[in-house]
Amino acid sequence: MTAQAQETIFRQWLDQHLGLMLKVVRGCAAAPPDQDDLFQDVLLQVWSSIPAFRGEAKETTWIYRVAFNTALAWRRGERRRREGLETYLKFDVLPQAYPSHADSLLEQEIVEKLYSAIRQLPKVDASLALMHLDGLSYQEMAEVLGISENYIGVKLNRIRKQLADQLKGDGDEL
Amino acid sequence: MNFEDLQKAWQSHDPGTKVTINPGVLMKEVRRNQQQFWRTIFWRDAREVGVAALLTWLFLDRAIRHHDWSLYPLSLDCLFVGVYIVVDRWIQHRRRPVMNDAIQSCIQSSLAQVNHQIWLLKNIFWWYLLPIESGLGVLIAVHLWHDRHAGLSAMAGLTAYALFCGLTFWGVYWVNQFAVRKDLEPRRQELETLLMETGVATVKSETKIKP
Repeated sequence: MTAQAQETIFRQWLDQHLGLMLKVVRGCAAAPPDQDDLFQDVLLQVWSSIPAFRGEAKETTWIYRVAFNTALAWRRGERRRREGLETYLKFDVLPQAYPSHADSLLEQEIVEKLYSAIRQLPKVDASLALMHLDGLSYQEMAEVLGISENYIGVKLNRIRKQLADQLKGDGDEL
Repeated sequence: MNFEDLQKAWQSHDPGTKVTINPGVLMKEVRRNQQQFWRTIFWRDAREVGVAALLTWLFLDRAIRHHDWSLYPLSLDCLFVGVYIVVDRWIQHRRRPVMNDAIQSCIQSSLAQVNHQIWLLKNIFWWYLLPIESGLGVLIAVHLWHDRHAGLSAMAGLTAYALFCGLTFWGVYWVNQFAVRKDLEPRRQELETLLMETGVATVKSETKIKP
């Protein structure tokens, strides 16, 4: 694969799947500097993985795998600070205090609670919860994790219960 | 609120974070990172193998020039250590975890790699220290035999040298065991926990590790 083709695919994936990568990052790291660091690692790994991409797996499955594997290998405190380098990435936290209406405010609050609850889960369960919330099928989740669909079902039941416990009041009927 | 509502809220929410990416700088950074990775690997291997090759050549050269056969074992031992490192790196490079593998396979490869690293450091005595020590032992023994009539000072010098070598080797051994305890054992436990989360029953750390 030529460097130009790799770059084209990378830019395309960034356009289409940036939200997916961000959700994985936010689900695995809480503090903004950690999120920044993990996100940079994810981007680098996604870039490196492109030559091996043959189109046999779906793009989303592929990116989930790379992002989760990077997040599982990533450890806080092992930051490779990129001192003296230009910053190619800038996170701006948007003002959340004034959503357009009450529903949005509630929605935002729920999502924040969900992120926080997901981060409390064991790492593999957290990745499963993120994919489940994103609406992936059992088969897709099984492909990302490399485990059976039956086991996914068993785990998801437990995860829903754990999330419900953490979101008491919001998720009683989970 | 039921799970479907949560899912709906989740899928429709704005991440609340605006990410600005400078594509030009990003491309520069990914290329730099890739090059740096290969450079690091290359220089690490070159350093370790280079030292072994240099010592092999030095001892061999000295042995031939001075007709000192006691240097041949040391030269061969350095060669053995160098070859061992090269072969081990080559095998491990082929088994390295691939980030686009399924999560379970990636954890398994990472665990195998950490286990191998632990095995390597725990057994450093056998593949690194013992060969070099035995070569040095032959060298010191031969020189002690030659200098047996040279007086106490020569004997004391050689004994001090032997002690210094022994202490250095003990230090190397200790540093490696410390690295196992401090970095590798916690990492192994972490990976075993992750693997168990994927439903694989792992054999816990106390069991004997195979390379």
